[in-house]
Formats: sequence, structure tokens, C-alpha cells
Amino acid sequence: MFTCTKEASVEIVYYIVLVPMVYVACAVFVVGTIVRLVKILLEPKHPTTLQIYPEKRPRWLWALQDTFLFPTVIRHKPVFWVVLMLFHIAFLLLIIGHIELIAEIKIFQIIPHEVFLGKGFVGLILCLAVLYFLFRRLVSPYRDLSVPEDYYLLILLFLTFIFGSEMDWARRWYGYDSLTVDGYREYLSNLLYLKPYVSSDLTAPGHSFMLLLHVFFANLFLIFFPFSDFMHSVLSLPMNKLRRG
Amino acid sequence: MDKKTRDNLLKLFQGKLDEAMRLYLEQCTRCGLCTEACHAYASMGQIKYIAAYRHEIVRRIYKRYFKGRGKVWPSVGEAKELSEMALDELYEAAYSCTGCRRCMMYCPFGIDTQMLMSIAKLLLVGAHAEPEILTMLADTSIEKGKSLDLFKESFLAGIKKLESEVIKKWRIEAGETAIPIDVEGADLLYVALAGAHSIIPAAAVFNAAGEKWTLSFFEAVNFGAFVGDPTKTKLILDRIIKEAKRLKVKEVCICECGTAYRVMKQLSGKQPFEVSAVTEAHARYLKEGRIKLDKSKFKGKPITYHDPCQIARNGGVIDEARYVLQHLTDDFREMSPDPRYNWCCGGGGGLVALGEDTLDFRMKSAKVKVDQVQETGAKILATACENCHAQLNDLNGHYKMGVDVQFLSSLVADALVQ
Repeated sequence: MFTCTKEASVEIVYYIVLVPMVYVACAVFVVGTIVRLVKILLEPKHPTTLQIYPEKRPRWLWALQDTFLFPTVIRHKPVFWVVLMLFHIAFLLLIIGHIELIAEIKIFQIIPHEVFLGKGFVGLILCLAVLYFLFRRLVSPYRDLSVPEDYYLLILLFLTFIFGSEMDWARRWYGYDSLTVDGYREYLSNLLYLKPYVSSDLTAPGHSFMLLLHVFFANLFLIFFPFSDFMHSVLSLPMNKLRRG
Repeated sequence: MDKKTRDNLLKLFQGKLDEAMRLYLEQCTRCGLCTEACHAYASMGQIKYIAAYRHEIVRRIYKRYFKGRGKVWPSVGEAKELSEMALDELYEAAYSCTGCRRCMMYCPFGIDTQMLMSIAKLLLVGAHAEPEILTMLADTSIEKGKSLDLFKESFLAGIKKLESEVIKKWRIEAGETAIPIDVEGADLLYVALAGAHSIIPAAAVFNAAGEKWTLSFFEAVNFGAFVGDPTKTKLILDRIIKEAKRLKVKEVCICECGTAYRVMKQLSGKQPFEVSAVTEAHARYLKEGRIKLDKSKFKGKPITYHDPCQIARNGGVIDEARYVLQHLTDDFREMSPDPRYNWCCGGGGGLVALGEDTLDFRMKSAKVKVDQVQETGAKILATACENCHAQLNDLNGHYKMGVDVQFLSSLVADALVQ
């Protein structure tokens, strides 16, 4: 008769979350995002201009400015703008940081830094910013405008950030160095080259629970991305282009 | 609501889904940046007037019927059934929105509330729940286009009576016609509104500028656009396009009517004529030295100018009005340092055409406009849109603003130097 020990069951869970679920999440993220974008952009164009006047040229440059610098936000809600900018810059650094956890990328080291970049503050900023977004929604009139999805997505982001950050903080601020950058690179590069390997370093007690939860929530983030308002990261530019004409 | 009605309404909804509409429907983070953008919210403080709240009324139906998520897990995005109650909400949202698009200046993505409200209006038309008067007015315009001969004589007789008023403002040479009509080969076709105030000053200025012009048989206003019926909007528009082509004019000049101007400018497509607003024509005449204005006419009376949303923010006629005003007064007072942020008067989107039915709401929702006008200290409040003029007049009476509400074209006609 087949028997499964508790340790074996835990290992299976680890393996599922750290390997097949990551592949599924990445596939859903890429395919879902492309399909949703293509479906929208294949619709017929609106027959009239939807721009706001006076117009400024070149329109595409102003649309880029609207998309990446949020001028309407700084004009009307400067404090919100500061948090938004901090969040989005930190998110960009987060992506760079994760790419550096796959392999060493020389161009990212133009400004020499230790991997993971940001000395722990990238995660801290993201966590605090998400908490700000979340609590902001609990106050009227934002509460009246929000739907459950808005809270769920922010909670999901917070959980992803907090467990990821904790590993970073533990290593940097509390000298916990069992799982090194090389350990992450071995795991992530093997995943990338379709040779998944979960080393015992990865599942060693101490950090493994945090890693498991971080990867689990990050997977959920990737899976939900194409079906949620996270898509604003992709749709914002074509929308701002409409306003600019 | 029975299934057949719902299916028909959803087909109408589907018909509105082009690329832009999909983007507007699919993307809103409900960040609330648009909260202070709407004059109705700014004046009345009710959440239902926030742009994002209006969007959600339409978006929830979209999520329910056009998104997989809305079918599998409707509660996560508060997806909603299309029901009688939903129609009531659509009515409230659509007919409290003037389509001024000021909220687009706040939204980080530039979501167009007027576009989303056009879905609401179309669904109301499909359910025969739209304001009946707007449909009746639209139908009358269409009928007029079909049977021009029936009213031609009475129209010509009516116009003839106005000619002496035009001559009082600008003397013409013997043998010339003060209000030319149906002139083939004229350079400019002027499309007025049904009312002497829309014809007399414009005619005087055209004559003063030596313009080769002709008056349209049709009124410019497009009630099809107000009621949100694209078929009727097109039919009403096509009457004027047909007339312009028949007369072989080079320019179609729209009177002071914001919606008419925007519809003609942006919906007429590529045509053998240019489209202009009468304010643009006046600015051009001044630049070319074809007319001269006497500033002393309004001495001691500071003038402020209300930018009609459909002509300025949504139509691009901004500097031209100021150029004209520079020639009318040395004491021009801007309402807003950036015309894109000028408050809506609260009368657009068909609300003024609904008359007494919307009067209470129009007065309450435009308090911020009143404050904006009063802060300028101006004695003359000029504008270049029929709806805005009617609404500002109502506000003037209701709030005892003590200003003289004038059409910009009337000021120009009154200040003409013979």
C-alpha cells in the first residue's frame, strides 16, 4: 500500500508551488495579456477624435508623459502622486531585482549595487504604498467607488510583497544568509531553461515558508494580471493617446 | 424586463463596443481622482455625481454580459443584471451628466465619461425610456430634412422679416440681400438656430466682412446627439452636408451651438468643405482686417467669457474667442487660468432642452459656475453656445448674479464699426 509521510506531502506542495504553478502562472500571464490586448486593439477604431484641446504635439510624446509621469495626479492630488510615483518606481526596481536573481545582467550594474537591489527599501516602500492605497479605499468617497476586486488585488499585492520582502530583510538586516543569491539564481535560471530543480537549500527551514508563500502569491498575481485592473500597466498608454488625439 | 427586451438592449450595447469604448470600459482603477472634477459633485457633494460612479453604472452591466469574470464571479466586480432598476440608474447617471468631459482632465487614463454615458443613453432609447421630448425634437428635425418644400415658403417669409433688423446693425448697398438664402456657389454656408438671435448678429457680421455667404434652411442643433441616438444624429447631420454639397460651398460655419459644432466638425468625415465655428470666422475677419470693432461700446463693463465645453475643451476653439474679445474690450477677465479646467455651465447634454424638468438640478449643480463667474467681477458674461447662454441666463436670474449674459457674436455685431 502507498503511504505518504508528512514530509513527503510538504515536499510535494513545495514542488507544485515552486515549479508547475510558476509555469502555469507565467503562461496565463503572457497568453492572457496578449489575448486581451489584441482583442481590444482589433476592435474597430472610433470614427471621431476623442481628444481634449488645446492639443500639444507631438501627441505620442505627451501621451507618454501622461502615462509615466501622471501629470493629472500631481496637479490635483500631490500627496497621492508622491506615493504613486514611489510605488511605481519601486515596482520597476522590483522587476530589475528579480531579473538579477535569474542571472547577472551587467547593464543593470551601471550603478554598482548588491543583489537584491535597494537595500531592503524597495520592498518596504511597496508594502507601505499598498497599505496606503488599501486604507485610502476605506474612506469615503473612495470607499463608495471601490468594488471587492479593488481590495482583493491590493491584499494580494501586499501579501506578495511582504513575504518577498521578509526574505530580503532577513538576509540584509538580520544577517540570515542560508539562502544566497546563488541559490535563487540556480532555482530561477533552471526554471527559465525548463530544467526545474528545487534544491534542499531552497526548502530548508527558516526561509522556506516565506519563499513558498511569496512564490504562491506572486503566481496568483501573474494569473490574475490579465483579467484584472493590473492591466492598466498595459492599457494606460493607448488610453492616454486617445486623450491626446 | 423580459428576455427579448434585454437581448435587444444588449445588441445595442454590443454595437457601441469599438476600441476606444472597450478601453474605457475595461480600465478604471476607481482611484477617485475624478471626484472633484464634476461640477455637479463640486456643487452638491453627492457621490452619484462622481465620474467614476457614473462609469460603474454602465461598466457593471458590461462586466455582467461581456466579461467572463462577470459570469463566473459577478460579485467580485459588482457585475449587475440589466433590469428596470438598472435603467433607472442609467437615466440618473446619463441625464445628470452634461458630457462636458472635464473629468478627463483628472483621470490618469483619460476615461471619457461622455462616451460611457452614450451607452446609457442608447440603452434608454432602446428601452423607450429616454426623455420623450428630445426624441420628438430629433424626429422633427429629421422630418424637416425629408420634406423641405413643405416649410420652405414660410421659412423664407420669416427670414425676410428679419432683414430690416440686420440692416440696423450693418447697412448694405442697394440691391444686396441682407440674409441670402439658397445661393449656389456661395463661399460660406451659415447654419443657424431657430431664432432671430442666432441669425441677425451673424448676418450683420458676414455682410460687414463682405463674406459671400448663404443661410442654411436647417437649424444647427442636433437633438439626436442630445438623446444619444447615433442614427438620428447622422440623419440630422446629413441634411446639412447634403445642402452644403448642393450649394458647393467651401465652408460650413456653425452658429453658437456647441453640440452642433462638434458633431459637424468631428462626425461629418472628409468633405469638400471646411467646418468652422462662427467665433472662428469672426476671429478670421478681424485678423484679415475685414471688420473693425469699437471697444468704447462696452467701456466700464468688464467682460468675462464662458468657454462652451463642446466648442473649447472638446472642439479646440479657445484662442479665437480670446482674440475676438481683445478687440471688444480692454478689460477682459479670464474665469480659469487654464480653459481646459473651466467649469461646465451645467446645461449641456440635453439638460437645457429638457426645460423645467431639469431646472432645479441645473441650478443646484452649477453653483460652482456661479462662484467662478462672480469671482471675475465682470459685468458682461459672454459665451458662444445656445445651451450655455440659456443656462447662464437661468443661473443669472436664480442666483441674482447681476451680469448681462450675451452671445459673443452679438457683442461683435453691436460693436461693428461702419
